[in-house]
Amino acid sequence: MQSYVTSKTVWLLLLFSILLMGADNVEQDGEERGKLLEQQKQLSVRIKTLKRQQDYLVFQRAMYASDSKYLIINISKKTGQLKYKNRVLKDFHFKRVSGGVSSLTRGALTLTQKIEGTRGRNILVFGKSLVLQGKNAPANELEVTIPRFALSKKDFRSVYYAIEPGAKAYIMR
Amino acid sequence: MFIVTRYFRVSVVFLMVMAIVATYSPTGAETVPAPRSIEKLRNDVQSLREQATQLDEENQGLRNMLRDTDDNELYLVVDTESNRLEMRQGNTIVLTAKVGTGSRQVVKEDRGRSWYFESPMGSLTVLGRERNPVWIRPDWSYVEENMPIPPKNDPDRFVPDVLGKYAILLGNGYKIHGTKWKHLLGTHFTHGCVSLDDDNLEIVYKSVKNGTKVYIY
Repeated sequence: MQSYVTSKTVWLLLLFSILLMGADNVEQDGEERGKLLEQQKQLSVRIKTLKRQQDYLVFQRAMYASDSKYLIINISKKTGQLKYKNRVLKDFHFKRVSGGVSSLTRGALTLTQKIEGTRGRNILVFGKSLVLQGKNAPANELEVTIPRFALSKKDFRSVYYAIEPGAKAYIMR
Repeated sequence: MFIVTRYFRVSVVFLMVMAIVATYSPTGAETVPAPRSIEKLRNDVQSLREQATQLDEENQGLRNMLRDTDDNELYLVVDTESNRLEMRQGNTIVLTAKVGTGSRQVVKEDRGRSWYFESPMGSLTVLGRERNPVWIRPDWSYVEENMPIPPKNDPDRFVPDVLGKYAILLGNGYKIHGTKWKHLLGTHFTHGCVSLDDDNLEIVYKSVKNGTKVYIY
């Protein structure tokens, strides 16, 4: 009987010690894995932000070296700037006229067309991404799905004649 | 013996179950279907950390480069569409004023010469400043008024008191100066120069120096 109990105790102790050793390892591994995954997530977000910042900094450097005027368009603030090298030539505000802005991603666009409308109703076309216009410009000349921003008539005239096809606009969100 | 064997069997089965449970990671299971080795995860995080550090350093370098180009100097901007002048420093607008800019008209002479009155566009520089400037009437001024053109140094060409108290020289005969036709400020009426009212002209004259940039667009 005593031999039976001893044997049982030994087995149980052995079993528990093995189990506890394993459980401890699993717990440590799980904890570290959790931490690493969290770090990985945070670093990925940080890298994305840094890449976005770098894209804008590289754009600014390129524009400083260029002899072309360009636009900075801040969608969340609904403001823009006409710039030449590192100098601001004009500040302006705009309103969204049509088209969803969700399709408008942060980054550089190129002015592809300057369309002269009747009675000064001109528009600036940045590919299939964006249209800039003055107030009261007709909305049916291009697809309405393209985001359209309207500047005051006066501001738009200044911007329209300041830039030429090939000029850049940088979208900030 | 039977008991020992039974316990041994039970233990083996139990251990197998626990081994299967131990390999299952609840955290990893949420995002990674197949659990990665912890070593690979450590390497991945290290690699991301290095990438972030590198990007951070590159961005700092770019920021420094751009900061070096930012002299925070005062500069003038003339918008020839809205006929406005702005004196700016960095992102601050120090002064805004109505101006007169080139009329965009053409004057033709019988002999075939013609003049197109447009303000000079682009990036210009203040080359000098004058007090009580004297206007030296160019040929087009006589053609415009159907008057005979006098010789180059004719006294009739030297006209005081029409350009205001101050003139800022931009080169090629172009200036920022005062005007007698103040009611026309805000329109295109000059022969290419930029006209300002007296008060703003004085402020601008006293603020700029040789080398100040003037952007006309």
